[in-house]
Amino acid sequence: MSAPPVARLPWFLRVLVAFIRRELAALGGYRTAFIIRIFGFGLAAASLLFLSRFVGAAINPHLAVYRGNYLGFVVIGFLATEFQQVGVSGLAQRIRFAQMMGTLEAEVATPAPPWMVLGAPPVYEFAASSVRSAAYLLGAKLLLGLDLSRVNLVSLAISVPLIIAAFSGLGLLAAATTMLVRRMNPVAMVIGSLSFFLSGVMYPVTVLPAWLREVGRLLPLTHALAVLRGALLVGAGPGELRDSLLALLIFAGVLAPIGAGLFAFALRRARVDGSLSHY
Amino acid sequence: MTAPAIVVEGLGKVFQSPAGLRELLRGRLFGRPVEALADVSFTVPQGEIVCMMGPNGAGKSTLVRILGGLLLPSAGRAEVGGIDAGAGTSEFRRRVAFVVGDERSFHYRVSGRGNLHYFAALHGLPAATARRRTGELLERVGLAEAADRRYREYSRGMRQRLAIARGLLGDPKVLLLDEPTLGLDPKGARDLRAFLRDEIIRGVGRTAIVCSNDPAEARAMSDRVLFLEAGRLRGESAPDRIEAELGL
Repeated sequence: MSAPPVARLPWFLRVLVAFIRRELAALGGYRTAFIIRIFGFGLAAASLLFLSRFVGAAINPHLAVYRGNYLGFVVIGFLATEFQQVGVSGLAQRIRFAQMMGTLEAEVATPAPPWMVLGAPPVYEFAASSVRSAAYLLGAKLLLGLDLSRVNLVSLAISVPLIIAAFSGLGLLAAATTMLVRRMNPVAMVIGSLSFFLSGVMYPVTVLPAWLREVGRLLPLTHALAVLRGALLVGAGPGELRDSLLALLIFAGVLAPIGAGLFAFALRRARVDGSLSHY
Repeated sequence: MTAPAIVVEGLGKVFQSPAGLRELLRGRLFGRPVEALADVSFTVPQGEIVCMMGPNGAGKSTLVRILGGLLLPSAGRAEVGGIDAGAGTSEFRRRVAFVVGDERSFHYRVSGRGNLHYFAALHGLPAATARRRTGELLERVGLAEAADRRYREYSRGMRQRLAIARGLLGDPKVLLLDEPTLGLDPKGARDLRAFLRDEIIRGVGRTAIVCSNDPAEARAMSDRVLFLEAGRLRGESAPDRIEAELGL
């Protein structure tokens, strides 16, 4: 007699909880790395503080829209970049590692559908990154005097899911190509470098020549930064952020299904060429 | 008459590796095809333990990976428990467990119990059931006392036992064991074979395929031996007549 089918959502939540418990148990063995990371973050925060004092001291027309708040501008720039990094590289790195360790094959051999096996890590990573970002913003407010008095929560609530969906689409594309070529691919690095250059992580895109600004509009991070800075620093409502929200919606609507389709193909391909485990 | 547990008909597998620079320059997208299995057919009745023997590279691991639904065949078909192995459904993976020798597919920094809990969740077990089931299985494979030690502190034999416990999480009807005693010392291997045969497979009426190139393993564990060479089934024998009938 076969076992009764298990409802998918509770099952996924069980997998997610078990995955998080396993990750936290493993983190206990990385205390030194954790301390080094905190130390590194402290140094980065101090650097940003002095950089913002230096830049903020000048009257800068490019920062006028953010009321000269360069500290807020650059902190959000780095947090959004990390968010993109989680989305674009996180799943690909985990898959490559799991292929080499043989864990991917062992996990795919269980009754859990592949989307469940591979869905838990990005959900955890995005949740962890969101909590980290919130903690960093709070820390910057309390310790560095970051002005967050005009936050628009409605814009934030609309934009964050769209940003996650757009970055997840990119992540699925990167993960699928990693599975297909069986090595970490340069897609994530290229996207990361281009975004850092053209999306306005450290400087407003208004300092770029017009044609480079147009190229930058093809990157999701450009729009993610526009809505996050608008919502967090200026208190802009969804109507004022309409163009960037729409761009994120298009990125999510196009990239997520293409990424999911390519990923399904890559998984099937791995069952054809035997690369679920690839030492 | 009950249906066979495993049916394999005309199974073939050809691997095509991605092209290297030389092949690409010649306009080819793939390297030279490698035939791992060709026209393999056999059936395994329910409750039987079959040892798949053959030298390294004979195609044993390829065969059990196809039977485990982890690899798709190029030709023929394989059915386990009446379900096509290529379908890769949850129901199929509930019925079949795949246990590999040289096991390293656990999280090194997490305890044996923690690792099993994660896989129990992948089997869809609710938390309380998972706790009870992993406790029972750790007891059964003799790891109860070491359950909370980190996996990296486990000996090779303990790792094998943990992999067997993982294979049993879903109470499968069919076990596929790929060189289960690989790298174990002679006593450890002897004990594990007896444990697998008496308590894990025969004791509960499971069907099993055990891949090995060790005649002692075949004699100790199986009811029947199939001999695979260069991807083709060359013959079969009773375990006590391996030398005479297969010339090993």
